[in-house]
Amino acid sequence: MPGILVCSSIVCDAVSMPTREVLGMARTIAAKTGEPVSAALLGAGVSSLTQSLIEGGADSVYVCDNDKLGEFHANIYLKVLTGIAATVNPRIVIFPGEVGAIELAPRLAYRLKGGLVTDCIGFEVQDDAVIFTKPVYGSKALARMRVACPTALVTVRPRTQEPFGPDQNRKGEVVAVQTMLEDIQPETRIVERVEEEVFECTLEAANVVVSGGRGMKDPESFQQLRELATLLNGAMGATRVAVDQGMVPPSCQIGLTGKIVAPEVYFAVGISGASQHIAGMSGSKYIVAINSDPDAPIFSISNVGVVEDYRNVMPTLIDELRKALA
Amino acid sequence: MHIVVCTKQIVDPEIPSGEFKVDFEAKRAVQDQGELVLNPYDENAIEVALQLKDRDKDIKVTALTMGGESSQKVLRRALAMGCDEAIWLKDPSFETLDSAGTAAIIAKAIRQAGSADMILCGRQAGDWDMGQVGALLAEELQTACIPLAYNIEKKEDALFVKRETENGMAVLEVGMPVLLSITNSSTNQPRYPSVKGVLMAGRKQIPTFSAGDLSIEAEIQKRVVVEELTIPSYDRQVLFIDGEDGPEKAVNLAAHLIKMNLLK
Repeated sequence: MPGILVCSSIVCDAVSMPTREVLGMARTIAAKTGEPVSAALLGAGVSSLTQSLIEGGADSVYVCDNDKLGEFHANIYLKVLTGIAATVNPRIVIFPGEVGAIELAPRLAYRLKGGLVTDCIGFEVQDDAVIFTKPVYGSKALARMRVACPTALVTVRPRTQEPFGPDQNRKGEVVAVQTMLEDIQPETRIVERVEEEVFECTLEAANVVVSGGRGMKDPESFQQLRELATLLNGAMGATRVAVDQGMVPPSCQIGLTGKIVAPEVYFAVGISGASQHIAGMSGSKYIVAINSDPDAPIFSISNVGVVEDYRNVMPTLIDELRKALA
Repeated sequence: MHIVVCTKQIVDPEIPSGEFKVDFEAKRAVQDQGELVLNPYDENAIEVALQLKDRDKDIKVTALTMGGESSQKVLRRALAMGCDEAIWLKDPSFETLDSAGTAAIIAKAIRQAGSADMILCGRQAGDWDMGQVGALLAEELQTACIPLAYNIEKKEDALFVKRETENGMAVLEVGMPVLLSITNSSTNQPRYPSVKGVLMAGRKQIPTFSAGDLSIEAEIQKRVVVEELTIPSYDRQVLFIDGEDGPEKAVNLAAHLIKMNLLK
């Protein structure tokens, strides 16, 4: 019977949250079709994580534990994944929408002669196919897409699916994958790796996000946003324009290309509301907009708005909130 | 050294959602609302290529696009920015291709037009946001592939590529041929065409390739089909905070947020 294959990813020596979410999605599809759910697990020293994948919804785990997989090199990972896919013969291959999938998913689709839908946020199971929903035109429209060949591949946007379990009583099969990796060389050599300073908490996990955009005058203006974010135990974000102007590092970029966030409270400061940016934050529970232009599109998606130059608002706002929360 | 930059003409992504219209029958955006523009990430890719050319005059940069009559405009723009040549893949059968079909045709064209040492694509096009033609092209042409790149240094025959990673950046060394998908950064903001560049671009011959020119006989089957296109609604009812001046509005906003019990 054809099945569902989940390509898991590992973050900080644990199964990533987006992987657990796509396992939940796979279980929902399997509940309707009766198909088995397999998970591919690649890395160096990852064998201890197989049980966590089974508890999270996998019926079987294909694990390739090899020193050559310690560093991520797409061409080596692809060789292993192609081998696992040949064994499992999946009808659907699901990737959590993390950075690795940007390269792995299309290249695996090519090798499996399959069709790929990226950045899926929803799905429906039909008799003979799964229809995937994906935002298009900078999230101004939604497309329902069907894969018209035997293998469907999909990358799924984080925080759009519910994880399964974990159910500690689940049992599953573990298959050790032996792929010959001696004679394959990485396509690239990693010269340097810089991890940007993460302050307080990561953007994606933050309950409060304070972001600035085109209206911010200089990098110093972002200090006020950082101050408010720190006060509220949140994180600071920015629009693409602020990144392009060099006011903040690219890791702060929130938007369709950039990070997708859905905090409890989102402060949009000096942000007009380009669709590229809205695509990355419209899932926020409560949106506060501060902008001197009363016609800025950001107000139409906000819960509360202040029409004012942020420089006249921020110092008092920070003081007032500090007093109230003390 | 030859660099090919793959570009696409798209409906202006800056059109506000209130004005954005969809052709539900054709399952795509209405084409004549506002301007058709060069995909912004492709402009970043052209800039990356031209920065390499600025430092090494022996580098030839070719801009490539696939599309109907209107798409000539993006090639003229690329030439005006400083690209040396352009290639236009133009055939009615190309207009309904999916990502896999697009990559297959572009690969054929690049092979037929002579080899490329480096192929650059924008990380994704701001219309369908699929973000897969680049990586598919790397498979078609059997080159190395680096996604989310934003800066390239060439030293002898080696390339040092800066790319975004999950939580920062990395510098990778890679040989050629290579495909890079380019993302925006403060280092690759596209240059404006000079007057001389615009004049030169207007005079340049742009070779076109049809399906026949590329020896494509059979119809290319779609792997991904759009079933339906809809417009979602994000609208909320906004409450504007009153006040005489900025500080008073700030006081009222703080009080509102505390009253709503939103901050802990």
